[in-house]
Amino acid sequence: MLVGVSVLVFALVHLVPGDPVRLALGTRFSQESYDALRERSGLDQPLLVQYFTWAGRALTGDLGVSFRTGEPVTLLILERLPATLLLAGAAIVVALLIAVPLGTVSALRPRTLLDRAATVVSQAGISIPDFWMGIVFILLFAGTLGWLPTGGYVSPADDPAGFLQRLVMPAVVTGVVSGSVLTRFVRSSVLEARGADHVRTAEAKGLGTRVVLSWHVLRNALLPLVTVTGVQLAYLLSGVVVVEIVFSWPGLGQLALQAVQSRDYPVLQGAVLLFALTFLVVNLVVDLLYTRLDPRIRV
Amino acid sequence: MTDHSARTLVRRQAAGTSRRAGALAATAAAALVLAACSGGGEGVDTGAGGGAGGGDGSGGTLVAAVSAQPDQLDPHVTSAYASFQVLENVYDTLVVPSPEDLVMEPSLATGWETSEDGLTWTFTLREGVTFHDGSDLDAADVVYSFNRIIDEELNPSFRFADVASVEEGDGGTVVITLTQPTPNLLALIGSYKGLAILPEGAAEDYDLTTEAVGTGPFALESSDASGTVLAAYPDYWDGAPTVDGVEFRYITEPAAALTALQTGEVQWTDNVPPQQVEALESDDAVELATVESVDYWYFSMNYDVPPFDDPAVRRAIATAVDREAVAEAATFGAGQANQTAIPQGSFYASDYAPYPSDTEAAIAILEEAGVQTPIQMGLMVTDELPASVTAAQVVAAQLEPIGVEVSIQTEDFATWLDRQSQGDFDAFLLSWLGNIDPFDFYQSQHITDGASNYQGYSNPEVDALLEEAAVETDEDARKALYDEASAIIVDDASYVYLYNPDVVQAWAPGLSGYTIRADRAINFEQVELP
Repeated sequence: MLVGVSVLVFALVHLVPGDPVRLALGTRFSQESYDALRERSGLDQPLLVQYFTWAGRALTGDLGVSFRTGEPVTLLILERLPATLLLAGAAIVVALLIAVPLGTVSALRPRTLLDRAATVVSQAGISIPDFWMGIVFILLFAGTLGWLPTGGYVSPADDPAGFLQRLVMPAVVTGVVSGSVLTRFVRSSVLEARGADHVRTAEAKGLGTRVVLSWHVLRNALLPLVTVTGVQLAYLLSGVVVVEIVFSWPGLGQLALQAVQSRDYPVLQGAVLLFALTFLVVNLVVDLLYTRLDPRIRV
Repeated sequence: MTDHSARTLVRRQAAGTSRRAGALAATAAAALVLAACSGGGEGVDTGAGGGAGGGDGSGGTLVAAVSAQPDQLDPHVTSAYASFQVLENVYDTLVVPSPEDLVMEPSLATGWETSEDGLTWTFTLREGVTFHDGSDLDAADVVYSFNRIIDEELNPSFRFADVASVEEGDGGTVVITLTQPTPNLLALIGSYKGLAILPEGAAEDYDLTTEAVGTGPFALESSDASGTVLAAYPDYWDGAPTVDGVEFRYITEPAAALTALQTGEVQWTDNVPPQQVEALESDDAVELATVESVDYWYFSMNYDVPPFDDPAVRRAIATAVDREAVAEAATFGAGQANQTAIPQGSFYASDYAPYPSDTEAAIAILEEAGVQTPIQMGLMVTDELPASVTAAQVVAAQLEPIGVEVSIQTEDFATWLDRQSQGDFDAFLLSWLGNIDPFDFYQSQHITDGASNYQGYSNPEVDALLEEAAVETDEDARKALYDEASAIIVDDASYVYLYNPDVVQAWAPGLSGYTIRADRAINFEQVELP
């Protein structure tokens, strides 16, 4: 699987037009400088040789050296991994805090004012561009109100309070977007579960609304939510480029974007490989979680 | 810029003595004197660095918001502006452009002498200069640094194209031997920190991509994805800086950078939203500064693609363009229209402006030459430089009435460069940045088969003038040659010059000792916090 991904990643990255050597050299350079840098970067080798050199080293955990920064790719990724993990984690928590109550409530009271309002809110969350929401947040909470810093990142180990202050806005913006997607999902699956036969049976045998809801409706409705949340999390872990840029959050998304812009093949290959791996792992975890949550799947 | 500036250069070369004291006085005089005014930063915990410290105007850490992280810190390798914003404060060069008029003045070299034939330059080094690792600067370090660039064909190596050797001379001097007279040698070896002097063997002793060992006013403390921190170097040869250090934060989004400045999180930024420049001029919470840059914007048509090989078509297009309107739209008023490359007011500027911005005249040129319209023109721009897209939209609107139908092709810069170098374009619009000598403005862009002559321009008369100007040591004669060459270049519309943008920066009210510069170098050596 990973071999296939690695071939695909390598091919895609090299197929994109653009010359990393020219980008690295800037506007003024001599042909000699160009040739020297091309040779130093190993780009003068045939593509097949480049692939096997890269794949061979990747097996030992060495993803090569960035054309742009001259630093090992593994180091660059590790440097940014904590910021990405923390933001993705916080954003998923925000998303679930929005989606589960809002989705459930609007499913229980379909076509009421509450439901309509929830639909409008989630529609807005999906439609409003995240960079715009981010800038409005900065102008409001950092500028006008002065409650929070405009952005940036400090390690939670060095300065937990400063870290949390900086985490709030990007986590909320990212969480609102993901949460809006999840809200609609929660609503439809709760609606579906409510109409199921066993719920009608439970209600018919006189169980209290609360018991029916928590044991018979929600538990079944939230099962598919695990899958969707997993996909959302994997997506967030590949970096939220726009939000990272607006809030100067040094995550993997920014790294990947810079790598694309400068055609920094080693970093790009490393990042995409990591993203692919993340999706595999998250899917595996979701499958394992399913067996815990759903007795029918247990063998 | 003053127009006697370049002449001063000649005098200094002849005298070969240090004018550092005079230069310092000039810096102090010209450094923007700002009203002492507190305000701005309150409320927010800005975390590490903490900025606007002591009210006595000394010490403290300056927090500067820049738009990008340095890609790497090896001055001889990187070409990124984000890197040089940091390196400017960490490394020194033999000579430096003066902040006010960009005339080369002493730095690590206190003086220089040129031989009769102009082929040998002898530089005297400053005494008592130490690197951040404590070692003393001597000629061997300079020889090592320049030869590292030359031998390894590193990024600035083209600047040494006419250098035969760099060697240690008598009495600790550095001798540069040339293959032909090079009047702009000082600009070549000093116009930016890509020509930084490293201690001998630095590439072996340090990982220069992440470590720095210079002689500059600040030493590198740390640099990672969330910021770069510099500490004042107490033994700096020109006296330790007033601030304790500088922290660079990367804020890509201009609105966020401006808010950070307004709330006092940062005290300086060059990432000002262009559309807000006018509004900021009346904002008391920020000090806005602009200066005309040495950059220029232009567009150029491909000589290999008909009908753009036709001089009449090129001239008609150059005639129809309203440069004032382009500058206004692309810079929100922070730019000056120009029909040549060099900004007005500099010694080498030319007032040649033959194009009237006249649609009727342009149509007449096309009719007279019997050119078939409509003409289709793909104009290549890049979304990584939003100003290029705006400028192209204005140009397209202006060319439409004369029968040139422009389709704007927006590419990412990597693809843009690819197409440019393969000649796969009708026309492209871009800018040249940080030019100091007229050689930088005209040579490689317009000489036949020049390294940057992607449009395929070739005019033997221009070639001869440029070759002659490149080795002419008399400043006035040299200016006359460049005036003549640039007039032909403008007439042929090898480039259609548009405008010189302003450098726009903003800082906290009360910040002093900082000079905004036309070459966009940012130097915090003498900065004092409010």
